[in-house]
Amino acid sequence: MEKEKILENLAFAIVEGDEDKAVENAKAAMEAKLDPLETVENGLSKGMDDIGEKFGKGEVFLPELLMAANAFKSAMEILKPELEAQKMQTAQKGTILIGTVKGDVHNIGKDIVSTVLETKGFNVVDIGVDNDTLSIIQEAEKAQADVIALSCLMTTTMPAQKEFIEVLEEMNLREKYFVIVGGGPVTQEWADEIKADGYGESAVEAPVLVKELIRKK
Amino acid sequence: MTSKQVESVHEASLEILENVGVLVRNQEARQLYVQHGCEEEIESSVIKFPRAVVEQFRQSIPSSFTFHGRDPSFDRTIPEDGPIFCTGSSAPDIFDLESNEVRRSRSDDIARIAHLVNELPGYDLFAISVTADDAPDGQQSLSRFYPALKNCQKPVYGSAPSIDEVFDILKLCFLIAGREAAFWERPFICLGYCPVISPLTMDVESTEKLIRFTELGVPCYGVMAPTAGLSAPLTLTGSLALTNAEFLAQTTLEQILKPGKPIIYEALPTVVDVRNGAYSPGGIETGILLMGCAQMADFYNIPSGGFAGLTNAKSSDVQSGFETGMSSVAALLAGLDLLRIGGLLDALKIFDFSKVVIDNEIALMLKQAARGIQFSEDNLALDTIAETGPGGTFLNKSHTIERMRTTPFLPDIADRLSWSQWKTGGAITPQAQALNRVREILSVDNPAVFSAEVDQSIREEFVGLVAGDSLPIAASMKPI
Ligand code: B12
Repeated sequence: MEKEKILENLAFAIVEGDEDKAVENAKAAMEAKLDPLETVENGLSKGMDDIGEKFGKGEVFLPELLMAANAFKSAMEILKPELEAQKMQTAQKGTILIGTVKGDVHNIGKDIVSTVLETKGFNVVDIGVDNDTLSIIQEAEKAQADVIALSCLMTTTMPAQKEFIEVLEEMNLREKYFVIVGGGPVTQEWADEIKADGYGESAVEAPVLVKELIRKK
Repeated sequence: MTSKQVESVHEASLEILENVGVLVRNQEARQLYVQHGCEEEIESSVIKFPRAVVEQFRQSIPSSFTFHGRDPSFDRTIPEDGPIFCTGSSAPDIFDLESNEVRRSRSDDIARIAHLVNELPGYDLFAISVTADDAPDGQQSLSRFYPALKNCQKPVYGSAPSIDEVFDILKLCFLIAGREAAFWERPFICLGYCPVISPLTMDVESTEKLIRFTELGVPCYGVMAPTAGLSAPLTLTGSLALTNAEFLAQTTLEQILKPGKPIIYEALPTVVDVRNGAYSPGGIETGILLMGCAQMADFYNIPSGGFAGLTNAKSSDVQSGFETGMSSVAALLAGLDLLRIGGLLDALKIFDFSKVVIDNEIALMLKQAARGIQFSEDNLALDTIAETGPGGTFLNKSHTIERMRTTPFLPDIADRLSWSQWKTGGAITPQAQALNRVREILSVDNPAVFSAEVDQSIREEFVGLVAGDSLPIAASMKPI
């Protein structure tokens, strides 16, 4: 099969969220000795961009976006060994550590934010709910995160976001990470007050916000 | 659902509990389950429930639940006194009454809302509708319960972030009741908790609350909040089966701890907006799922409740009216005993004074609907029909006059004027009419407030406590 066709099929399989087809086409790409980096960029990522655009326009729904992300991940597994063998690196978009703060177990919004970030190609490390400040910092160090995203759904747990930034400062780590905040009662004013680097009202704002921050780095 | 279908949902729930099980993060709870016949998968902390265990413990759940008010005339027992109505709880934000801007909620808002709810006849209970952003450190719960209890004699429902705060709330209640024993005779508060994080997970801290509150003997029960399509299957039947399994898991623990503990089968079920993941309690599916919950509760012969009548609307407007009306009427007709209907906008995030008054009217209409056609020989009115005869009028008959103030529901908010009367009267909107009622009620001294001595003893015990008074509205209140 010719190169263009394979890449087109791959992108299409991603848009369709068809994991089997995505894997099949990723294998076909490798068999046809296509450049792995180009396969990622013009096949897989192109598919994600297409479906992302459709989602933005309301043409596809959230579950379809998640299926696409799944297909992306599985196809990526096929390409990884080849990428590594050729010592190639896909353009790193950045690592985001995400979790809810101490005392807060509301995970639905956080989960949506983390999947939307994944669909945009970010490396997302989700540390779940009810995390105390020090363990978030530990995890961020371990993951070598660029951005720490803190979700919280209650006015009673919001102070933990503030405390987190204060502790980062005390530990002289504030410059190392971008910190963004969100969740039901969180507002831009609150983000400004606690000197967070960004705030997003909804999940779709998260990748835009993160991209902007990482570019500044 | 037919009774066969209800049984199938029950069977499905037993199967879920037996085969899939529940991840119980709280160690004490895991031990209790195991001691009473459940099996634990050691590595995963998943508890599997043999059906016999579930069937055994649900037998001890009482068939009724009583809420006590500070004033006993406000005591309510469901299902007997149902359907009963309650305000929505814990909104972090509020439309400021004076400026009509949205801001964080405070304890003085709670005082005003309590005052209103005390006066509005549609409400049977007061669930503390907002949070208290002005609470002094360590007095989070006191800053909510004190203004609530001070200004409302109806039963007060609320939550507490920790066990320590519950001891403070109880101390407050003992001071109000005069003696500790007097409070325990008629405990006039009820506490809520949410141990279940769907799907099939029980949290550490909220499960701890279930255990400690139940041991204390304070009236309390749990609420499940599944979101179909996210934390539950998208199909309503599957979502109901899962929620029901979660209810059974939670209540098994309650009954293990205290056999015969009264509870309510209560839920806040929603369906995700698949287009973007939005939380949508205003959807009609919330009403439909609550119909299912009411039927399951009936099957178990226990009282039911739920968040019927929530809305995603951002102001007290057409959307808020139809969303509140539609899902609450659905739940009501299926026999839900307790409807948490009042006052909240934007998916439980904003409280609005005009909405709480409009919802009072909806509650009164729903109570009227629940009474339905009250059949009796006397109500057949055969004598009056004969007396009036063909072509006559019933307007001037004593039959009408005797019943005209009690039989029909006479709305206070809904407008029934003629076009020109309405126009010359200022074309008042329901929202403006509702705010007029708020102004009226709040301008009169609140008869519910407790005595100066009681208040003094409370303020001596809890130094630095918020004022907790329902303030009259500033003359500057912006008309809508
Ligand atoms: C479902 C729910 C629950 C479920 C949670 C289930 C679960 N798996 O998460 C259960 C029943 C367990 C629960 C428990 C409690 N809850 Co609750 N809960 C809710 C409810 C109704 C919906 C939350 C939700 O899922 N929203 C949907 C998602 C999609 O929205 P979201 O989380 O806001 O996320 C979006 C954006 O905010 C943004 N976002 C989120 N995070 C981040 C992070 C970043 C970095 C960015 C950029 C963006 C972003 O993107 C998301 C997608 O667009 C809210 C009300 C509400 N409308 O939020 C109350 C609410 C948050 N809960 C409340 C309360 C009081 C409680 C309890 C204390 C109740 C009790 N008596 O025990 C407990 C506390 C548990 C705890 N310790 O955390 C109050 C909070 C009041 C306050 N103080 O502020 C609320 C407001 C409801 C109310 N009025 O009572 N709750």
